[in-house]
Amino acid sequence: MTDAPAQIGLEQWDRRYDRMHAAGLIEPVYGGPLGRHVADGDTRLLKLRYDNSPAALRLWNFLLTEEDRLQAARAGGKKLVGAMKDLGTVPVMAYSLDNVTAFYPDGAWWIPCVMELNAGLLQIADSLGIDESFCPVRAMLGAFVTEAHFPIPDLLTCSVGATCDDFSAIAQRLNGLGHPILWWEIPHRRVPEPDEEAVTLPGGFSAPRSQIEFVQAELNRVRTALEETAGRTLDDTTLAQGIAKANRVRDLLERLRRLAFTAPRCPMPALEMLIAEMLAIHFCSDRDETIRVLEELLDEVNRRVASGTGHLAPDAARVFWVNPVADLQVMNLLEECGGRVCGTEYLFAHALDAIPTTLPPMEALAQMALADPMVGSAIDRAARIVADIRRFGAEGVLISRIPGASHCALEGEIIGQIVREQCDVSVLEIEVPSITDATQATLCTRLEALVETVKDRRQ
Amino acid sequence: MREPTRTIVYTCPYVPAEWIAAHCLQPRRLVPLPTEGQSVALRLEGLCPYARAFVNDAAAENADGIVVTTLCDQMRRVYDLLVRGTDKPAFLLNVPKTWQTVAAQRLYVDELKRLGRFLVRLGGRSPTPAELVKTMIEPAGCAVPTLSPIAWASRPCRSTAVPAVSATGILPVDVPDAHGRDAHATHGQDARATAVAVVGGPLMQRDRILFDLIEQSGGRVVLDATETGLRGQRRPFDRMRLIENPLLELADAYFSIPDASRRPNSGLYEWLKDELVKTNARGIVFHHYVWCDAWRAELSRLKEWVGLPVLGIDSDGHSETNLARSQNRIRAFLEMLH
Repeated sequence: MTDAPAQIGLEQWDRRYDRMHAAGLIEPVYGGPLGRHVADGDTRLLKLRYDNSPAALRLWNFLLTEEDRLQAARAGGKKLVGAMKDLGTVPVMAYSLDNVTAFYPDGAWWIPCVMELNAGLLQIADSLGIDESFCPVRAMLGAFVTEAHFPIPDLLTCSVGATCDDFSAIAQRLNGLGHPILWWEIPHRRVPEPDEEAVTLPGGFSAPRSQIEFVQAELNRVRTALEETAGRTLDDTTLAQGIAKANRVRDLLERLRRLAFTAPRCPMPALEMLIAEMLAIHFCSDRDETIRVLEELLDEVNRRVASGTGHLAPDAARVFWVNPVADLQVMNLLEECGGRVCGTEYLFAHALDAIPTTLPPMEALAQMALADPMVGSAIDRAARIVADIRRFGAEGVLISRIPGASHCALEGEIIGQIVREQCDVSVLEIEVPSITDATQATLCTRLEALVETVKDRRQ
Repeated sequence: MREPTRTIVYTCPYVPAEWIAAHCLQPRRLVPLPTEGQSVALRLEGLCPYARAFVNDAAAENADGIVVTTLCDQMRRVYDLLVRGTDKPAFLLNVPKTWQTVAAQRLYVDELKRLGRFLVRLGGRSPTPAELVKTMIEPAGCAVPTLSPIAWASRPCRSTAVPAVSATGILPVDVPDAHGRDAHATHGQDARATAVAVVGGPLMQRDRILFDLIEQSGGRVVLDATETGLRGQRRPFDRMRLIENPLLELADAYFSIPDASRRPNSGLYEWLKDELVKTNARGIVFHHYVWCDAWRAELSRLKEWVGLPVLGIDSDGHSETNLARSQNRIRAFLEMLH
């Protein structure tokens, strides 16, 4: 397909799909027109604007059919593992076992957005005492109660310690409802003391050796639970093979991000890039297909960069985005306001870094878990953001607060202060609830102000 | 041992006062006011009022060091503000959320040792085992502030020493407060009054009014299961284990404090079950601050579990309207219990 890159609505996509299908479009089994997902209740799709490439179509279809894959995996005899509050560690271990499929129950936080609150998940959470003072991830509680969005997993794991209080409290509520959970501890990453052995983690943070050993021991508990669930041994050789596959995903994303954030014309819009990045943490319930989806997306981006085509105006304000958004439509909004995403830190920057292959696998995974930006201080996180702002040449920073999230009350303030001190770029904080319809005018005004300020500063 | 001249402030119950005192430093557990004015942490939406009040009071306090813990995410994050906003030496103690594994218990012990090194850097002296034992047996200066008479009566380490009232209001609650009330005087509780338990997270000084409101409304607090009450106090030391390995016994006594933030937090419910039976409480007043997720999430679960009437009281820690609202709710609750 050689059409010029464009962002199109759902109806346009469906018409385009018919033409492509008639012309012999080859699709995976989960392929089809995007419009069919609206019939399943995903009504927010009607309001989004999508990249018009077949690669983007495949990405969306892959994302929106995860439940089918989980049901099929269970029907096929695979064991399901729900890896809660886990940004890219337990799924790497779980997918190393060929009869296990891991998924990310926390991903239910997007259901209220995608289904425009029609699934009733937030109301269920309300009824369980988890009200709007909690992050939208409380939708997960409703998803467990209704069993309508993912099957109940055979094993539930959850990291605790240096994690947000919202999720920890919600997971405890889930536990109180009778779902057994394997809790594993991730301690707050601290600066090594002068007499301690320091280890530089992937991504550049450092931690004392003792913390890595502790996390490794915790992950060994998870390994044992996975082995018991799978009825198979998860040895280091098998794990190393799993890590190699995970690194393939991370390598593809690294190349994709570098091109998308630095090319003179934006080769792939922010919304598709957000979805692509999210695949790194849990592989959307199919690791091998994740690789194929990202390969196709990267091919498309390579073609566009080589031909000098892309989206958005060439002078679009280059914005670094901090935190994921509960309402996907806001990614479109920035672009409509004249901005372009050039760098992201969606809470899981570490899941995009290569897992060391020169270390014993469990030690490498322990290092990755400790490299999580959310596990350390906001000051550390800001340092990584500053480095990436410079790497991608961003001109402004947008910090999107997640309503009710315990980390958002303070970290935006600290990150904003440090970024201003060290990068001299404009910083704006916005709050993005699951559905922004009521506040879109205000949001647009704020985004326009950021774009305008960035462009003014060029002069 | 020499007399301590330097003061270390903290608020989390998982910080062992005896460990600080054994290092020849004065432990001072802050129960925030809160103070307004110059602030390290501004009033922000989503910020727990208690975490904010603690960090501001600690920064303003004439202390030589501040100990914060990772018991909750908000406290973990206000530590960042503290290190950026003050020159005071600060220490972040990793308190594991899990508690059932030896590794978690060992991590807590290691963290206490690391705290010890911090205290030494501040001018403290590393205690010998015998000195630690002595401090644990005779914990002068380790008074734990409480807000309710019932918690005071149950304290495991009552001190005869009365700490001075600080300018920023660290309340030595065994002395009269600014209104001339004695928080620990016998309030002449009427045995016919309705027995009520107060359950929840930490309380600020102003929240002592909660206990007064309950009494004024015909109630009698028989259990203070808040962080500043009985629930936030360590178990008594086992003298045999104390002699064998005082640091391990100290760590075990503190690490077993039940809290909503532990994972799983079944220990909290086991503790509550025993205490509610012992005290024969007929109802529960459950207090939490807005944005305190750990305790907010427990309200519904407690209601489902306990089989007693439960009244939820939330507070933003600032506004006066809270008082009138709480008063009305408590009166109505006790009227229904009578």
